[in-house]
Amino acid sequence: MRRLDELTPGEEARVRAVETSGHVLRRLFALGLRPGARVRLLRRAPLGDPLEVRVGESFVALRQAEARGVVLEEG
Amino acid sequence: MGCPRCSTPAVHPGRRLARIALLGNPNTGKTTLINALAGTRLQVGNWPGTTVEKLEARLGDLTLVDLPGTYSLFATTPEERLARDALLADPPDALLVVLDAGNLERNLPLALEATELGIPMAVVLNLFDEAREKGYDLDPARLEALLGVPVVATVASRGEGVDRLIEAVQTAPVPAPAVIYPPAIERALARVAGAIDAPAARAIAALLLAGEPVAAPETARKAAEAARKELAALGLDPFLEITGARYARARELFQQTLRGHNPRPTLTDRLDRFVLHPVLGPVLFLLGMLFVFRFTFLLSAPWVDFIGGVQEVLAGWTYGLGLPGLLASFLADGLVAGVGTVLAFAPVLFFLYLAMSFLEASGFLARSAFIADRLMHAAGLPGRAFIPLVLGFGCNVPAVYATRTLESFADRLRTALAIPFMACSARLPVFALFAAVFFRERAALVVFALYLLGLAVGLLTAWLLGRFGRLEPSTGVMELPPYRLPRARVLLLQAHARTMSFVKGATGPILLAMVLIWALLHLPPGPLEQSLYARVAGALAHLFAPLGLGDWRLVGALIPGFIAKEVVVGALGVSFLGAAPPDALGFLAGLGQLAAAFLAALQGTLAALLALFGLPSLPAAAGGPTALQAALRGAVTAKAALVYLVFVLLYTPCVATLFALRQELGRRWTTFSVGYQLTVAYLVALLAARILP
Ligand SMILES: Nc1nc2c(ncn2[C@@H]2O[C@H](COP(=O)(O)OP(=O)(O)OP(=O)(O)O)[C@@H](O)[C@H]2O)c(=O)[nH]1
Ligand SMILES: [Mg+2]
Repeated sequence: MRRLDELTPGEEARVRAVETSGHVLRRLFALGLRPGARVRLLRRAPLGDPLEVRVGESFVALRQAEARGVVLEEG
Repeated sequence: MGCPRCSTPAVHPGRRLARIALLGNPNTGKTTLINALAGTRLQVGNWPGTTVEKLEARLGDLTLVDLPGTYSLFATTPEERLARDALLADPPDALLVVLDAGNLERNLPLALEATELGIPMAVVLNLFDEAREKGYDLDPARLEALLGVPVVATVASRGEGVDRLIEAVQTAPVPAPAVIYPPAIERALARVAGAIDAPAARAIAALLLAGEPVAAPETARKAAEAARKELAALGLDPFLEITGARYARARELFQQTLRGHNPRPTLTDRLDRFVLHPVLGPVLFLLGMLFVFRFTFLLSAPWVDFIGGVQEVLAGWTYGLGLPGLLASFLADGLVAGVGTVLAFAPVLFFLYLAMSFLEASGFLARSAFIADRLMHAAGLPGRAFIPLVLGFGCNVPAVYATRTLESFADRLRTALAIPFMACSARLPVFALFAAVFFRERAALVVFALYLLGLAVGLLTAWLLGRFGRLEPSTGVMELPPYRLPRARVLLLQAHARTMSFVKGATGPILLAMVLIWALLHLPPGPLEQSLYARVAGALAHLFAPLGLGDWRLVGALIPGFIAKEVVVGALGVSFLGAAPPDALGFLAGLGQLAAAFLAALQGTLAALLALFGLPSLPAAAGGPTALQAALRGAVTAKAALVYLVFVLLYTPCVATLFALRQELGRRWTTFSVGYQLTVAYLVALLAARILP
């Protein structure tokens, strides 16, 4: 099972599930990171964490640990 | 005309509206829109009981209310909760839902949610120029027909389309709910909404069903609880079902509104390759911070001096009036000096707000948070805490206000309580005074070590609070907004309004503190040694004896230091050398001085603008020891001096900072903060007294 933090910069995938809860889940949903959305990893911050991803027209930053909760579809 | 294509006719055509609220995602141009509509009549206040800014503007007999940016009524931050509660508890007469036309699919769910509020509404497709640049060809008329409310395309920053807005909102109908949920959810909603007697019943029912803590009648709560159980038995999560249906509907609406799209790379894509570059990014970012710092302090310094000059003239005139000595002293050294202290903050605040608003509105603030996040994370803070902390080295007051850009109260608390330990520029004169006498060649090293000590204590404070204060951990999830060039006019207006709101609020408390200190120093009339001040200082000196600071003149200076740190130097001067006789000033001589001070300020501003782009220069080295320095050398040992500086570094920075803390965190946390600072200062100074050779 691949997760968002395993993408390499420039790589794109579709979200299968978001395995977080509470505020982080709601915020991720509101920003467009929800099942079915296509996301692309843009880059990592200078010290490797956080990550920047693109979903639709939104640019979203999230920490490595938070990105681990986003499960991607295979292939 | 209003809404020719709307299915429902306007309820009260031509009626006059009292309050219009602007609802929209963060950064969609709500504030810019209000400014375009109402011009200069912008007012900044605080939402009752919170730290979030309340922006209002009057337009004829309309009041425009700027709600905090929010993604959904399912709130995840205090600001979002505030926006939601403002809408539910005190519904406005109409809503303008402001959407980012360039990110329409993600913005539409909020508009769909808003249709359930039962309030007349119109939709604004703002940032229409950006949408075009991104290659979107949208059809607002189509969206208007689909939603059944007026839809107006605007470019708020250029004022395009805004003239249609007021008319549109005044004739706006109450929309029909725009989303139909799966049958099980609809049944549950109907049951819960039936128990609520409010136009927003459907919206409230949806929130209750998803378990949100919103105000509602007991029967509605019970119905929602029962419905949640039934849905759970069916394997349905109301939050996922409700938002899922909204997202699906938003997608349909978006696709029907879209006439065509040919994607083009934007400025943001290109710029971020440099700004967020692993090596170049941090360098650019540090240079940027340095520039903000220099901008603020270079430009404000001449005006701080000018205010000092005005204060001197007013004091001189007061002494020239021939009033009885004590009264003249009260007016000049108590009242005039108090007002001067407050006003002296205004230039610093103004320029710093200007810089901060620019960073925020342009998109750079979010980027700096992205770059600094990992570092700040180590202290349990989010990346956004970095800028307020750094600003603290300049002045703690605006730094405390800058914590507003943090999302949660927990993060604001952690950061705001750490800020007072950052050695602000007002502490430098005290450091410099002692360091030059006692540490000569190692003066710079000692001062640097003090700065580091302050930083360490601050970060430790933040970490401890997160660890033991049972505060929720910070998150790194945030949107990086596209780069935009903010309007200078909006920035200036906002900086001005915020500065004035500080001056208005802080004058009372600071004046009071100043008058108290004046009374200590001057009552009963006579020599300083017999004043209340000397007596209080003498008592305090016992307390400070374990630190090796038994001299009442040293300890006493810490009391006025509570007003502002630079005052410590003056107070030491008075205690050690005696007060200088006041200078009385004639009317004309005073006018001359005022004019000269004003010219000097203008000249200083010009020089500062030039220096802004030059290289930073170190302050010129001071000459031989002053009389005060010589007196200090005779009275204190080097070790005691260092212990004294540690205490000065760490104890309560100034009344203005306390006032800022009270506005941001409330009375309880401010009281805690004062106690904490005094305790920490005392303990660390005690430690220093024990371990220093
Ligand atoms: N190009 C363009 N820029 C705009 C437009 N409207 C606003 N802006 C810019 O977008 C940025 C954000 O605008 P604000 O008015 O601060 O947005 P806001 O909705 O009040 O944001 P929050 O208060 O954070 O929720 C500013 O730099 C504006 O100058 C527009 O129609 N076109
Ligand atoms: Mg705003």
